[in-house]
Amino acid sequence: MLTLYRPGDGPWHRLSAGPKALGLMLVVLGVSVLPSSWWGAVVTAGLCVGCYAVRGVGMRDLLRQVVTIRWILLVTLAGQLVFLGPEDAVANTVRVCVAVVISGLLTLTTPVSELLDMLERALRPLGWLRLDPQRAALVIAVTVSTLPVLARLEREVREAQRARGGGRSLRLFAIPYLVVALKHADALGDALTARGVR
Amino acid sequence: MSYLELDDVHVRLGDAEVLRDVTCSLDERTIAVIGENGSGKSTLARLVGGLTHAASGTIRVLGLDPAREAAQLRRRVAVVFSNPDTQIVMPTVAEDVAFSLRSDKLSRDERNRRVDEAMHRFGLADVAGHASHDLSGGQKQLLALCGAFVRRPDLVIADEPTAYLDARNARRVADHLFEEGRHRLLLVTHDLALAQRCERAVLVKDGTIVAAGTPAAVVAEYEDGLRC
Repeated sequence: MLTLYRPGDGPWHRLSAGPKALGLMLVVLGVSVLPSSWWGAVVTAGLCVGCYAVRGVGMRDLLRQVVTIRWILLVTLAGQLVFLGPEDAVANTVRVCVAVVISGLLTLTTPVSELLDMLERALRPLGWLRLDPQRAALVIAVTVSTLPVLARLEREVREAQRARGGGRSLRLFAIPYLVVALKHADALGDALTARGVR
Repeated sequence: MSYLELDDVHVRLGDAEVLRDVTCSLDERTIAVIGENGSGKSTLARLVGGLTHAASGTIRVLGLDPAREAAQLRRRVAVVFSNPDTQIVMPTVAEDVAFSLRSDKLSRDERNRRVDEAMHRFGLADVAGHASHDLSGGQKQLLALCGAFVRRPDLVIADEPTAYLDARNARRVADHLFEEGRHRLLLVTHDLALAQRCERAVLVKDGTIVAAGTPAAVVAEYEDGLRC
C-alpha cells in the first residue's frame, strides 16, 4: 500500500476508486482462503502476475513492490520454516506477498485525491458516531502521502550521519530522525492549517 | 478601519516573550516586515495568519479576530513559508494544488478548472502529473504559491518566500507575489530590495516594532542600525 500513484491509461487506471478497492479486496480475500499448498502458492502467484500483466502497470512495478517488502517476506518465511515446514511456509509467505502487492495496485493506479474522495464516501457512516468523515479520510490520505517524505528524511539523516563520521550507530540515527520527523509533523500541521483545512 | 490592527499584543513561547507591546494599524496593499534573525518577524507573520496566538492584546485581521474567528480567517488568508517542502502535502503537482480547494464546496468541474488555470498562471501545467517532491527548489516554491493563490485569498502572508532560491527563481516568485490578483501582501523578508517594492515597511527588533513608514526610510533606518 506504500506505492505512489503513477499516471497511466490502463484498465486499472480507468476503473474508479470505489469498485477498484472493492474488487482488489475480494481478490485478496480469495487468496487468503486458498489452501496452504504448493499449487495454492502457484495459483496465488499466477493471479498476482495476471493483475500486473496489463497496460499501465507491469512486471517492473511488481518487482519493485516485492523488493520493497523483502524484509517482511524474509521474516515471515524464516519464522514459518521453523514451525510449519517448507510447503506451508512458502504458501503463506507467497500469500502475504501477493496480498500486499495486489493492494498496492490501488495506490499505484489511483490518484490520492480520488482515494480521498472514496474514503470520504466510505467513512460517511462515521458521522453517526459524530466523527468527521472528511477529517478521517484526510488523516489516512496524509499518512499515505507522508511515508515517502519520512523515507526522504531518513536518507537525509543517514547522509548527515555519514558526513559527520557517525558510523552506523542506531542511537546517533534514531534521535535526530525522531527530531526531524517531529519537526516535519509540526510544519505539516501548520501547512494544513495555512491551506484552509479546518 | 485598517485590515491589519494590533493593539498592545504580547506573544509568549514557553518562558520567552517573543513579541511585546506590538501596536500598529496598517492598510497598504503590500507591507514588508524586516529585521534581524530572531527579532520576531516570523512570529508576527504567524500571529496574523492565525498560526500563533497572542498571550494578551487585540488583533484584527481583515476585521476578524484570528483566535475566535479562525475558520473565517483561514478562508480569506493564505500563508506561504520559506521552505516549500513543508507545505507540499499531496504526491503530484495537480493534486497538491487541488488540495487547497478541498475545504471549499466546489463541484469537481469548477475545482479542476481553477486548478488548471492556476497551474497555467504559475507555469506548472507541464509538470502537473509530476511528483511534487521531485521538483526543483524554484518549482516547489511556485507550487506552494500556486496552492495558496488558487484559493483566491484576500491576504497573502509570505514568510521569506525567496530565502532558498537563486536570483532567477527569486524574481519569478516575487513577481507572482506582487502581480497576481488583487490580494494584500504581508511579506517577511531579508531581501531589502524586495522590501523596497512594497508600499510600506515595518522594522521589528527584539520582539517589537521599532519603525514603520515608507520602505526607503525603514530600510535606511535598519541599515543604520547594522553599522553601529
